[in-house]
Amino acid sequence: MDTRTKEAVRYLGYGSHAIDDDTLALIGSSFEELERTAGRRIIYRIFDVSFQGETGLKIGTMEVDSRNLRRNLDGCRNVIVLGATLGAGVDMLLRRYSLTDMARVVVLQACAAALLEEYLDECQEELKLEQEAQSLYLRPRFSPGYGDFSVLHQGEILRMLDAPKRIGLSVTDGNMLTPTKSVTAVIGVGRTQLSCHVKGCENCGKSDCAYRRDKGVGE
Amino acid sequence: MILDRLGKELLYFDGGMGTLLQAKGLLPGELPETWNLIHPEEIVDIHRQYYEAGSDIVLTNTFGANALKFHDSKYGLKEIIDAAVANVRRAAALGVHDGRETYAALDVGPTGKLLKPVGDLGFAEAYEAFCEVVRYGEEAGADLIHIETMSDTYEVKAAVLAAKENTKLPVTVTMIFDEKGKLLTGGDVPSAVAMLEGLRVDALGINCGLGPEQMLPILKELMEYASVPVIVKPNAGLPKQRDGEVYYDVEPDRFADAMEQVLGMGACVIGGCCGTTPDHIRAMTKMAGRRKPKALAPNEDTIVSSYGRAVILNKKPVIIGERINPTGKKKFKQALKDHDIDYILKEGVTQQDMGAHILDVNVGLPDIDEAAMMRETVTELQSVTSLPLQIDTVDIRAMETAMRIYNGKPMINSVNGKQESMDAVFPLVQRYGGAVVALTLDEEGIPGTARGRCEIAGRIIEEAARYGIKKKDIVVDVLAMTISSEPEGARTTLEALRLVRETYGVCTVLGVSNISFGLPCRPVINANFYTMALQNGLSAGIINPSSEDMMRSYTSFCALMNYDENCEEYIRRYGGQKREARTAPPASLTLKDAIEKGLKEEAHHAASELLGTKAPLEIINRHLIPALDEVGKGFEKGTVFLPQLLMSADAAKIAFAVLKSSLAENGQEAQKKDKVILATVRGDIHDIGKNIVKVLLENYSFDVIDLGKDVPPETIAECAVREDVRLVGLSALMTTTVVSMEDTIKLLRKEKPDCKVMVGGAVLNQEYADMIGADFYGKDAMQSVYYAQELFG
Repeated sequence: MDTRTKEAVRYLGYGSHAIDDDTLALIGSSFEELERTAGRRIIYRIFDVSFQGETGLKIGTMEVDSRNLRRNLDGCRNVIVLGATLGAGVDMLLRRYSLTDMARVVVLQACAAALLEEYLDECQEELKLEQEAQSLYLRPRFSPGYGDFSVLHQGEILRMLDAPKRIGLSVTDGNMLTPTKSVTAVIGVGRTQLSCHVKGCENCGKSDCAYRRDKGVGE
Repeated sequence: MILDRLGKELLYFDGGMGTLLQAKGLLPGELPETWNLIHPEEIVDIHRQYYEAGSDIVLTNTFGANALKFHDSKYGLKEIIDAAVANVRRAAALGVHDGRETYAALDVGPTGKLLKPVGDLGFAEAYEAFCEVVRYGEEAGADLIHIETMSDTYEVKAAVLAAKENTKLPVTVTMIFDEKGKLLTGGDVPSAVAMLEGLRVDALGINCGLGPEQMLPILKELMEYASVPVIVKPNAGLPKQRDGEVYYDVEPDRFADAMEQVLGMGACVIGGCCGTTPDHIRAMTKMAGRRKPKALAPNEDTIVSSYGRAVILNKKPVIIGERINPTGKKKFKQALKDHDIDYILKEGVTQQDMGAHILDVNVGLPDIDEAAMMRETVTELQSVTSLPLQIDTVDIRAMETAMRIYNGKPMINSVNGKQESMDAVFPLVQRYGGAVVALTLDEEGIPGTARGRCEIAGRIIEEAARYGIKKKDIVVDVLAMTISSEPEGARTTLEALRLVRETYGVCTVLGVSNISFGLPCRPVINANFYTMALQNGLSAGIINPSSEDMMRSYTSFCALMNYDENCEEYIRRYGGQKREARTAPPASLTLKDAIEKGLKEEAHHAASELLGTKAPLEIINRHLIPALDEVGKGFEKGTVFLPQLLMSADAAKIAFAVLKSSLAENGQEAQKKDKVILATVRGDIHDIGKNIVKVLLENYSFDVIDLGKDVPPETIAECAVREDVRLVGLSALMTTTVVSMEDTIKLLRKEKPDCKVMVGGAVLNQEYADMIGADFYGKDAMQSVYYAQELFG
């Protein structure tokens, strides 16, 4: 099973259970359909970061109060702020199948999430190489909604990136990203290479989550 | 007047503003529009440099000046726009030294929000926001309105309508395409051009996103489809980054060279966007001077469009799906009366899957508010299908409602040769755009001869021209008369088709199945007549794409007449047929097995088989429900997972439909169902969880009233009272929207105290649910079914 399929299975809540053939086939055809429908657009910019006290930080002109993010970016002078989206076509697809085939909707949704993460990982890998050429190292990606980093920052992040115009990524009055298959994130850039690169999921405090990646592995 | 010059002379726009403002000290996050008042001298200085560089049209510094984007506590929009126009005027006085006529264009940029259904901004709200801006712009003395950097056809439609309906100023539009020639919302060049020309903009084109070289292929397509003057305003190359800053590096001379090609291809208004400076504009004006632009070659294609695609009627025959229409359809009528939008939408997506290119939409019934129904149907349909729609109604109010909110250039069904009809329909086409079906009948009725029908077509085309509606936007329907009552009916229709094509060169449309009323085995006649009509010049048949006979005619005709390159479509449809025909019918699983395994076809088959020996109600209670219970238990225990649960639910749904229609045939009904309202709360646009619960509740025979997503508390409470509902299920995804959930519960307690509320969603847990006062927290979809069962006993 390839990584994206494994991730999709995890998002579907299978945990360590074996997946049935019908669902596996549905995952396969969902990825095929997404390949035809999903766009992949990203925009990022590098900003200065400064810290105030235990929880305060300032990225560009954006002031954030978050202990978790503060810790994540500790020791960094710059951060990469990014926004990425699979575009409005995926939302249309989900709406369309909601009428006739909810199983497919649920699987498409999981596959789209996996696809988006995979795309971000690829982009991050490029950024990593770029930065390492200057002896700079990336911290794990951190998004609004992780820990105490509030989703109320979505709008400001998109403004910093001019994201509505550049990649068609916008935010609703309820601070939800539209199109729905989208993310924003910050990635710290530091002079030291951290030995332990913990990614978003394992870093989360909610250890009883049904969708946790390392569930049952070492707890 | 700029309108006298557009398209006849080469005109120059200005260049970028943002980078120059930053160089003058604009801080990141600061609103550039405020500088019209805080630093007018700097703004005037930039405008002046552009006039000196040779710009004829300078944009006001008002890109983000709309109520949805511009939030400033100190300055109001009116002040900003007044000052912005005045700044351009002052700059012209300072910077124009050769006495040439120049113009101040009110710059209107996007709201920065996405419109529904992708985002949460309503079309009417967007329209209102733009109304305010354009009114201020006209009052302040702008010479024209330039709407730019738009990436969504729906938003641009709101802006153009606002400008046209609230001012007398010329309106020009440029949109932002990517390298594949697509808008961010998926639209392509022909669909955008068709819609904008339908709305009668004075010039249109591309800006931003790309440099001049990357724009060339898109410009080529634009020139192919456009009939109005074309504007090109590229960036100074593709954006690059250095030290976190975005910059553009195409130098003025290279920019001017590329713009030379742009002119060669036929653009007649040129300028620059991000990264371009007065030097770029100067290099360009020096290069091209006052040369005459290429003459416009108007496009003659008959095009209708949706937000995402254009359908061209004159290149290859197209299929208009006829199924969204209550005429003669009992189930559809019932769906309209019950307000069952899902039923209508399913008819839409099914026809798309079966090969329709355009969907006819008719929701007329004597006892419903047709305009309201039309509005809702069109809104919902365009959120699940990218096919263009044909608005089919005799109710002029319903027609206008639909045309106004339609995201694209619609097909309109119909106008006819009666003066009254033309007086009502043509002003709408003039205002909103559209290709209109022209029925060849008039005050005297339907002529019995081909010549007579052709003459009416001619009169309609002539009358349309008085409204500036071109011949290419008239699609003539010579009317198919049933042959059982009119023996010469088919011959006359076929002759008229040919005659109209030969005489006027217009596209044609026909409701094909009318031909066979009153005859047995109608598909046989229909399919043969369809082929004959195609052979006589029919461009668009209104047919049922689920009819295999009709699709055979269509596919064969396209293959035979070389409309289907290498017979690809024919082979795709029929290549595998032999093998398929040989496959055995679905293995006989029991209904219980079929549902537990989630196999739809088998469930259908098994339910039909069981009907041979058992009563429908017995099958439901003894076979269907126990199977669902079994799957539900498995889900609880963690041996069945969500996709499997839903596959079973879908299979059960199909079996249920078989049983229900058997009940209906015997004049019975399934058991009386309890009503449950489901909604995703205000501010929340994620509705998958709610939809899962809906499917399961429906499986267990609950009558679900689905209010959708982003639903205000008032709507939910009002519905609960009106329908006397005892259970409401609410869903929310994020902490920020749980607040709306709490508001909804509070309101329900007040308005409908006997109504229980169950809640669910990613962010909720028991503690949270208790805190906001819910009666029940469902940790998964099955829990809500159990709670509903318990509640209603």
